[in-house]
Amino acid sequence: MKIVILGFGAVGQGVARVISMKKDYLRSKYGLKPQIVAVCDHSGAAIKEEGLDEKLLLETKTEKGKISLYPSYGAPGVDSLQVLEDVEYDCLVEVTPTDIDDGEPARSHILKAMEDGKDVVTSNKGPLALSFQELGDCAGKNGVELKFEACVGGAMPIINFAHETLAGCNIESIYGILNGTTNYILSRMANEGSSYEQTLQEAQEMGIAETNPYQDVEGIDAACKIVIMANSILNLPVTLKDVDVEGISRITSESIALAKKEGMLIKLIGEASPDALEVSPRLVRQGSPFAVEGTLNVATLKTDLADDVTVVGKGAGSVETASAILSDIVSIWKIRK
Amino acid sequence: MRFNLVLDLQDVPGKLMEALEPMGRLGANIVAVIHQRDIKTERGTVPVQITIEGDKETLDRVMDALESKDIQIMEVDGVLRKEQITTVLVGDIVEKDVQDTVARLNQLEGVRVADLDLKMSDKPENSATKMVMEADFGLKKQILKNIKKLGSEKGFLVINEV
Ligand SMILES: NC(=O)c1ccc[n+]([C@@H]2O[C@H](COP(=O)([O-])OP(=O)(O)OC[C@H]3O[C@@H](n4cnc5c(N)ncnc54)[C@H](OP(=O)(O)O)[C@@H]3O)[C@@H](O)[C@H]2O)c1
Repeated sequence: MKIVILGFGAVGQGVARVISMKKDYLRSKYGLKPQIVAVCDHSGAAIKEEGLDEKLLLETKTEKGKISLYPSYGAPGVDSLQVLEDVEYDCLVEVTPTDIDDGEPARSHILKAMEDGKDVVTSNKGPLALSFQELGDCAGKNGVELKFEACVGGAMPIINFAHETLAGCNIESIYGILNGTTNYILSRMANEGSSYEQTLQEAQEMGIAETNPYQDVEGIDAACKIVIMANSILNLPVTLKDVDVEGISRITSESIALAKKEGMLIKLIGEASPDALEVSPRLVRQGSPFAVEGTLNVATLKTDLADDVTVVGKGAGSVETASAILSDIVSIWKIRK
Repeated sequence: MRFNLVLDLQDVPGKLMEALEPMGRLGANIVAVIHQRDIKTERGTVPVQITIEGDKETLDRVMDALESKDIQIMEVDGVLRKEQITTVLVGDIVEKDVQDTVARLNQLEGVRVADLDLKMSDKPENSATKMVMEADFGLKKQILKNIKKLGSEKGFLVINEV
């Protein structure tokens, strides 16, 4: 399987790493031989039809910062859409940064690949949160797969879990903690009694919160995931603007202390149900499935046959997120081989 | 032993049969069913009075079965069933806001504010209050919605239960 990776940051590099780590396993277990034929970042591309060397890709990016400096096969300044036009491949792995205004550049990448008849795997929430139905229709029209397990909850299995493992169940609603950064901040505030501002700053120093934490702390990131699950799992044709969003920046240590007296914690909860599409701070019982700490994510699916089913997992991380991308690649391979 | 239950049923065909099914299945004797479709609650549901005969254990099993079907039991032997609802409000809350909020919540039918806690902060906008309410069974969703509206009107952050 010939793969193009667009974006070579934490997740893109994770993908190269897991492909390199799992080569023998993928071949013996599934007969799958993934070949990375092109990789793009801001600097341009590295392109080699017989497959680039994963270790050399990682080394080049870490040491030189630019993928276009890949020995002999670097292509400085070549733009990603050009790569999709010129290179022969089967599957696009779209892992450029999430944009929630127009979904670009990922939206154009994904549409171009699908219109060219290629399968797509992505961790990029932007295009899906803004125009899920359009992308789904495009995939259907062109007879290609569009897979996005990594978009929701990183390594925590949820999309494919709902569709495959819970096949036959009607899923009525979904509740979850879908953002690791905010869960870390709220857990720390509950354990240390510290203020929001101080805890956010600590999280930034530890690299858990970004320098610009807006999308995480104001609930936008979680809202994107709620939209993706509402569309994919509940068949609700909604977009980001349909979600009521309230983040955690108004949570105080006083409010957490009051909740604790009642045996409760405050968590940022996303809800997709026939009653509501919202992200907001909510009270959860200590000891309940939602009382997870640190950067963990959790989601509960309310089903008709299986009652409540809850999954917990790592919502972010390079190799962790790449594991979800790899599982999507394997399921595409099973369809295509 | 005889027990009187009042169930809160949606006025759609089949609902009464659905409610009676676990009673027969679990071995409770159905003595009487009073189903007056012309008396409706504010929510458009119909209260149905059912008298069953059996031991206490059978009653408990019947109640579990009804609840797992999302059928609300409003009354058991003339006693209204209650559930607890907790909420936390954050913002520049002063005594007067609390009194006002409590008064408005107490006005809602079937709701009573049972406990109240206020935590003031040096920064006024960081203050918080916690309210624990007791409400008739089945009102939870409606009450949470009301609290959200009340709080937003006053510019408070409302933190409701999941
Ligand atoms: N990190 C996680 O744990 C995680 C988890 C779940 C989902 N995601 C999602 O996965 C995606 C990637 O995340 P990340 O953490 O890997 O981001 P990142 O570290 O910021 O990496 C983004 C990469 O995209 C490249 N890029 C940006 N614009 C490009 C363009 N127009 N053409 C080609 N390449 C371009 C960047 O190039 P340069 O290196 O040259 O700047 C960089 O290599 C995001 O959409 C994110 O929301 C991430």
